[in-house]
Amino acid sequence: MTSSAALASLVSAAASPTMASWSNLALYSAMAVYTIAMLLFASYLAALGPAAAAASKATAKVTELVAVGGGASADDPSTQVAPDVDDTSEASPRARKLAGSALSMTWLATALLAASVVLRGLAVMRAPWGNMFEFANAGALAAAVAYLVLARRNRWEWLGIFVVGPVLLTLGLALLAFYTEAAELMPALKSVWLVIHVIVAILAVGLFTVAFALGVVYLLKSHREANPPANSAKRNFLDTLPRAATLERAAYGINMIGFILWTFTLVAGAIWAQKAWGSYWTWDPKEVWTFVVWVVYAAYMHARATAGWEPRKAMWIAIAAFVSVIINFAVVNVFFVGQHSYSGL
Amino acid sequence: MGAGLFDLWIRGVAVSAPEATLPRLSPLGWGRWAWRNLTSMRTALFLLLLLSIGAVPGSIFPQRSIDPGRVADYLAANPRTGPWLDRFGFFEVYASPWFSAIYLLLVISLIGCIIPRTRLHWHALRSQPPRAPARLERLGAHATAEYAGSPAEALAAARALLRGKRYRVHAHDDSSVSAESGYLRETGNLVFHVAMCIVIIGVAAGHVFGWRGDVIVTEGQTFASVFPQYDTFRAGTAVDANTLPPFSIRLDKLDVTFERKAGGAQFGAPRGFIAETTTTERPGDRPRNQIVTVNEPITLGGADVFLLGNGYAPIVTVTDAGGKVLYKGATPFLAQDNFYTSVGAIKVPSAAPKQLGFSGFFLPTAEPTYANGPRSVFPDLDNPEIAVSVWEGNLFPGGRPQSVYTLNTAELVEVPRADGKPLAIRLKPGQSYELPGGRGTIAFDGVARFAGFSVRTDPGKGLTLAAALLTIAGLVASLIVRRRRIFVRVAPGPLAGEDAARQPGAPGIPASATLVTVGGLAKNADPGLAGFVDELAAALAGRPTSAAPAARTETDVT
Ligand code: HEM
Repeated sequence: MTSSAALASLVSAAASPTMASWSNLALYSAMAVYTIAMLLFASYLAALGPAAAAASKATAKVTELVAVGGGASADDPSTQVAPDVDDTSEASPRARKLAGSALSMTWLATALLAASVVLRGLAVMRAPWGNMFEFANAGALAAAVAYLVLARRNRWEWLGIFVVGPVLLTLGLALLAFYTEAAELMPALKSVWLVIHVIVAILAVGLFTVAFALGVVYLLKSHREANPPANSAKRNFLDTLPRAATLERAAYGINMIGFILWTFTLVAGAIWAQKAWGSYWTWDPKEVWTFVVWVVYAAYMHARATAGWEPRKAMWIAIAAFVSVIINFAVVNVFFVGQHSYSGL
Repeated sequence: MGAGLFDLWIRGVAVSAPEATLPRLSPLGWGRWAWRNLTSMRTALFLLLLLSIGAVPGSIFPQRSIDPGRVADYLAANPRTGPWLDRFGFFEVYASPWFSAIYLLLVISLIGCIIPRTRLHWHALRSQPPRAPARLERLGAHATAEYAGSPAEALAAARALLRGKRYRVHAHDDSSVSAESGYLRETGNLVFHVAMCIVIIGVAAGHVFGWRGDVIVTEGQTFASVFPQYDTFRAGTAVDANTLPPFSIRLDKLDVTFERKAGGAQFGAPRGFIAETTTTERPGDRPRNQIVTVNEPITLGGADVFLLGNGYAPIVTVTDAGGKVLYKGATPFLAQDNFYTSVGAIKVPSAAPKQLGFSGFFLPTAEPTYANGPRSVFPDLDNPEIAVSVWEGNLFPGGRPQSVYTLNTAELVEVPRADGKPLAIRLKPGQSYELPGGRGTIAFDGVARFAGFSVRTDPGKGLTLAAALLTIAGLVASLIVRRRRIFVRVAPGPLAGEDAARQPGAPGIPASATLVTVGGLAKNADPGLAGFVDELAAALAGRPTSAAPAARTETDVT
């Protein structure tokens, strides 16, 4: 595209097909690189198994301190200082190298995905989350970025496959099922509240996705802790992960931030509905499901704080909440009749 | 929650589930028992889950309050299951007894939960941190240090440090201090729950004191806001429909643009609606020109006016055989699809000897062949056309109210062509058609657009919004603030040995050395606690503070 053509597209603010096709190209490349990253993450987990077997004697000792705090809460203080097994340091050089390249590939793929989202935004000269295709891509980007930031701080290479997998799945689904041509928006969607409401929703979904992945790993790990392998040769990557209680707490923390963002999404959506439809709440199917998601996450917070509720059961509620997030996106937009007709399909 | 969790926080006693003791059989006993159960965390959790499940059917089945037409369609299509679903309120979920029961119980539980917690928190806010446990080494986070000074000086230094970090500090004896911070966490949590109650009050206020009316206004028409002028009107119980704000709004022009470039589902999608209006707040006021667009309502007489719908009103003239005009005007037709294939009816009660009715389609861009019936293929006025059939007889059987968009054909018969075949009149603007049998002429003069305005007031919305923002503030506070207790215990040093410890001032040992133990306890997950305790101990020992603890595997966000 020549610069004058680019200028013209800026001035006319109409959809630019060239930019849009570059955006799609970036998206295909991101998917290819994510696929490589996923394979690397898988090899990394496979390589952790033998390392775990070798290191089993050295690391099996987990100090359980005398309980001094109220045992009622899952935040039982006694779990806070017990040293967690930091087995990634025990991983073989090969495994560590795999983890490093998997993360680099994820960074690269995420940069490509970000480029795709930005190009799409330039193609349509508006925030690039106006229909399901765009929302799916932006949500996948948010999840990938949330993961990468957290993985850097916490050495969560083992979580990679559980995030990159869903991200790849989302992108594939977006292309196959939700693809929408670059175009302007319908009038109800032209609002700053679209930008605010949806960007916060996307961030929340990104965090929920990472917390969901952590939740799944937590459930695997806590099952593992309850049923340790009979002999050390049977140990796999699960035995090298941080303790279940640590995973549970991390998932809770991320869910909590996601929940706050979701609360904001709900409020911002209501403000926008007031502007666009004259009523902040009409029990439109999309509103209903946003509310359902919110209530189920609130139930999860409660379950976690309820005396006598196992954290494992609470985590199942969090997983149900994430399933509602998926339904809210993939089912409600497509199949339910309501005012939120922005799917672009 | 009961008092348990809070009281037992420090003592390390597991809080048991609400006891299942047999209630005394006195009414008071039953009441207490019911109250205790209703306000328990378990019940709150159960009700929350129930609420989320209960909300779902309203998104699956059509709802009367949103789209009564679809409810009627559903009932017609499902004669067997429909009435049963109706009986159980599935077409009006959010006003159904069972949904109301869930949220009312939740509200009661919420209030029953807030009151005791507020009382407890109020006491906590005014009481001193508890006595330090005897053996701080048993706390989750602890550290020791040697202070170069007397025990009293060590305690004073610890106090100063903790005060500097905004802890509340208290000494129960002269060998320890207790400190606590992070009361804002529980405050935030309470604010969140109280704000939830206020949200509910705000919503209820909107229902009782608010009203809304919808009206269709054609280009050139003026609408005056009085109750009978509204096409639909709904008001809360406390609203007097005879005292609506007396504004008026004239639709001068409705500008509409549709997508012409993009293909696929985007083709023909709406891109902009702009209503140019002339308004007065009250009769006799100077008229003002105002623009109403989607997302940009205007306020008139305290009510908000939204542009919610639009469509076409073909302008039709019907004359009798003698050329006398029986009907002339723009008649709104309702769009049925994204390309504005619209249906409507033109009723001519003054026709004689029998009343005349026309019913059929308006097509902004007619597909010329009618291969799939009359259909529009683009929403703008590229090739407008009307296609109507003609009826005669009694338009208003029984004088009952009826839809303006359809004919009630109970006492009408269709007028055939002169040759007896069914008559379908297709007209483009400027064309006219002479009806068979000297019934007169129908002429299609042109097309006006109409705007659907919705006028709404909700006196509760400000309160609801403020409370909703407060819930977020409360959540943030309860997320970022950490509730911690820090204890410092001093014993005469040094560490050299028990004998020396018993005899301070023995030769070779500085009389003033003090052994300091710092212990920390957090109410919730608090990965920074150990670091804080270490830092405090280091500061008391005069050591440079150590870096952050190494090899963390936890996240900071917990
Ligand atoms: C409208 C219904 C309710 C909603 C949406 C709701 C929501 C929440 C949320 C999101 C949290 C976690 C945030 C925080 O810690 O500040 C929370 C915590 C809490 N809620 Fe509720 N709640 C509701 C009703 C209740 C009721 C009825 C009770 C009492 C039985 C209750 C007791 C608590 C307690 C004790 C906590 C603190 C848990 C902790 O210490 O971490 N809530 N609630």
